[in-house]
Amino acid sequence: MNNLVKFFRSAIAGPLAALIIAVILISLTTDRFLTTQNLINVSLQVSTVAIAAIGSTLVILTADIDLSPGSAAALTTCVLAILVKNMQIPLPLGILLVLVMGIGLGFINGFISSYGRIPSFVATLATMSMYRGLAFLITEGHPIFSISPNLEQIFYGKLLGIPLPFIYMLVLYAAAAIFLRRTRSGRAIYAVGGNESAAHLSGIHVKRTRLLAFILAGLAAAIAGTLMSARLNSGSPNYGVGLELAAIAAAVIGGASLAGGSGNVVSTLFGALTVAVVQNGLNLNAVPAAWQNLTLGAIIVLAVGVDMWRGDIGKNLSRIFSFRKGDENPGRQRTAS
Amino acid sequence: MKNTKPPLWELREISKAFPGVQALDKVSVSIFAGEILALVGENGSGKSTLAKCLAGVHQPESGELIHQGEPVEFAHPFEARERGVATIYQEFSLVPTLSVAENIFLGRYVVKSKLTGIDWEMMRQQTSEILNTLSIQFDPDEVVRDLSVAEQQLIEITKAMSVDSTLLIMDEPTAALGLAETRQLHELILRLADQGQAILYISHRLDEIFQIADRITVLKDGRCIDTQPASSLEMMEVVRMMIGFDIGQHYPKEINVTSETCLEVDHISTETGVNDVSFDIKVGEVFGLGGMVGAGRTEIANALFGLDRLTEGSIKLYGEPIQLSNPADAIHAGIGLVPENRKEDGLFFNFNGSLNITLSRLSSILKWGFLNLTQEHQTGKYYFEKLNITSSGLERSAQFLSGGNQQKVVIARWLFSQAKLLIFDEPTQGVDIGAKIEVYRVINDLTSQGYSVILISSDYLELLAMSDRIAIVRDGKILQISPAKELTEYELLSIASGAEGNGNG
Repeated sequence: MNNLVKFFRSAIAGPLAALIIAVILISLTTDRFLTTQNLINVSLQVSTVAIAAIGSTLVILTADIDLSPGSAAALTTCVLAILVKNMQIPLPLGILLVLVMGIGLGFINGFISSYGRIPSFVATLATMSMYRGLAFLITEGHPIFSISPNLEQIFYGKLLGIPLPFIYMLVLYAAAAIFLRRTRSGRAIYAVGGNESAAHLSGIHVKRTRLLAFILAGLAAAIAGTLMSARLNSGSPNYGVGLELAAIAAAVIGGASLAGGSGNVVSTLFGALTVAVVQNGLNLNAVPAAWQNLTLGAIIVLAVGVDMWRGDIGKNLSRIFSFRKGDENPGRQRTAS
Repeated sequence: MKNTKPPLWELREISKAFPGVQALDKVSVSIFAGEILALVGENGSGKSTLAKCLAGVHQPESGELIHQGEPVEFAHPFEARERGVATIYQEFSLVPTLSVAENIFLGRYVVKSKLTGIDWEMMRQQTSEILNTLSIQFDPDEVVRDLSVAEQQLIEITKAMSVDSTLLIMDEPTAALGLAETRQLHELILRLADQGQAILYISHRLDEIFQIADRITVLKDGRCIDTQPASSLEMMEVVRMMIGFDIGQHYPKEINVTSETCLEVDHISTETGVNDVSFDIKVGEVFGLGGMVGAGRTEIANALFGLDRLTEGSIKLYGEPIQLSNPADAIHAGIGLVPENRKEDGLFFNFNGSLNITLSRLSSILKWGFLNLTQEHQTGKYYFEKLNITSSGLERSAQFLSGGNQQKVVIARWLFSQAKLLIFDEPTQGVDIGAKIEVYRVINDLTSQGYSVILISSDYLELLAMSDRIAIVRDGKILQISPAKELTEYELLSIASGAEGNGNG
């Protein structure tokens, strides 16, 4: 019982509740939602954004922001296509190389913002433009199709009936959750985002920590990019447009604070799932794309708003219903533990 | 004399309390037009609070403010401005990216008409006029960011003077200024007084005050000790009044000094102003750094904690030379810093109590390379019990702990990090008396267990009572090191403030 209360007060409860409400509402509007095929579709759709959102969460936790994942993912698809199709490099090696490149792209982001002391918003706004520019440059603007017959298996394969991308996603989320909760570097990320000055005075290497978050975000973007090329067996400089915003939205809906130091990847996963489920529901109900964008915006405001206003709403309710007298609700306090 | 005229402002029996402190207790002061009245007292004596009551920032609980015979009440600083009270605080209120003229007219731009908008020409002209009357040479179009601190200070004054003011309040205006700049400021102040301005000048630098003040009011513990013409006072008398004679507070000092050397600091200097400083600290010793705010005490601490690079000199800990290029090096070597601003520099509000403590040495709670959260919780619990910290803080954000308990969480972090030398920068500032005594007990416990302590405090009684030896710091230098027992507060204050070197003013 005590654990149950603790759970509902924890940071995960809100985003999970949002997801459950979305699922219930959508199943009420259409009976095509809760079908195996549709759920597979949703899981395929969500995986790319959700994996990129791991990176966004790590960066947001250190009170930085990364605007480059969409471009980094596009560059990844193009480089993979060139390596494997044009240069005839074996697919596994090609994938390994683009993942290393993702780390490099993240390093550039982190180095410019952390050591170059350029605000991360500006630094990654610049690299967002540069990475996509590079993707256009190396492909001369043309998509590259039919990279490798084996590539599609990475996306469309299944394990025990579960689509592989969904499994990658779960594994990566588990790894990220353990990293954040149970490693020194993970703790350092929370410390830097919570109070940079105190972190410095506690012996945390602040710059190194911020750099690490960007590097991991670069890796996450490259994994997302690899999945994109596997999905269509192609590479294109036009892929991944808006991926960074979808990823940031997932983190924010999951309750990560842009001020840094609070949030966790499990909540981000629920955030990403909520967005995917709502979009899927709107698709199933044949709602036009324009309305879907409006809805996504509304979800962001609502999710963050409910979080911010919780304390006030609680207080006002208790004022209205006097039987809750004396029950003070100071709003959600998140800790990393 | 001026005193035959009725006063411009009369403050009658002003009282003001804050939670836990009686900041002002029936203070009465008069201020006359054309005079410079200096307000002196130790830190926390109520100088700034009195100024803020007059500026409308604080509302006194009892007593009267009388402006030219008429009682007034201020609900807001604007109302004080309307009565001609202009205030210059320690922090500037200038917008660095705007020009001098724009800053001076900020918030009250002169509008020509709705169509043509702001009348820049008029504002520039008026700025020049004001600058001229104050005999300050400035281009009204100069951007404030490009000016020196002293010049910004002058702009700040100009801004205050540009609204018709009759009383100018200055709170430690020279804190950030060098000698030449201070002189420039003083010339301006004297000129303003000649023009009939009343000036309330707050400073703890007695040498300055004796150079410019007409009368001196001494505050101590929120009470007005005396107001006298500067010419009839001697600097040493003022020092005596500031201290008072009732040194009645009790400090539970234990002496745990051993003969073993903990830290040797050999002729260190930094770019931040530490100038050829040498001292050594014994194991179990409390080494006090005394001096005025801004004298260089914190800078010495920063150098020892790897925050500021040494330009010269060396540091040895337990006989081993140590290189400190960042706090991590200092922590690794066995040094911990309890910072002055525990909220900004000490605590993580996104962490509960345990996590706040273990951060300094996460390597010791690793199991198979991962953090052992059970062990972490037990560690937190151990230190919470050891330092007697409210146990609710173990599970909740450190935000909800009281000031004293927050301080102890930061101390616990260094106990856990296995520090051997702890630097306390103003450890009892803003904590209540009970928590203060707890901090003193912690210091005693630490020294008895072989820790060494550097204590920086502006509370001289505390510094004298809790230190074994005291180094007096001024202008980044150590002027003298003496056993705390052989030093009186009177000597400490007069050396630290520079009163001694200047004789009787």
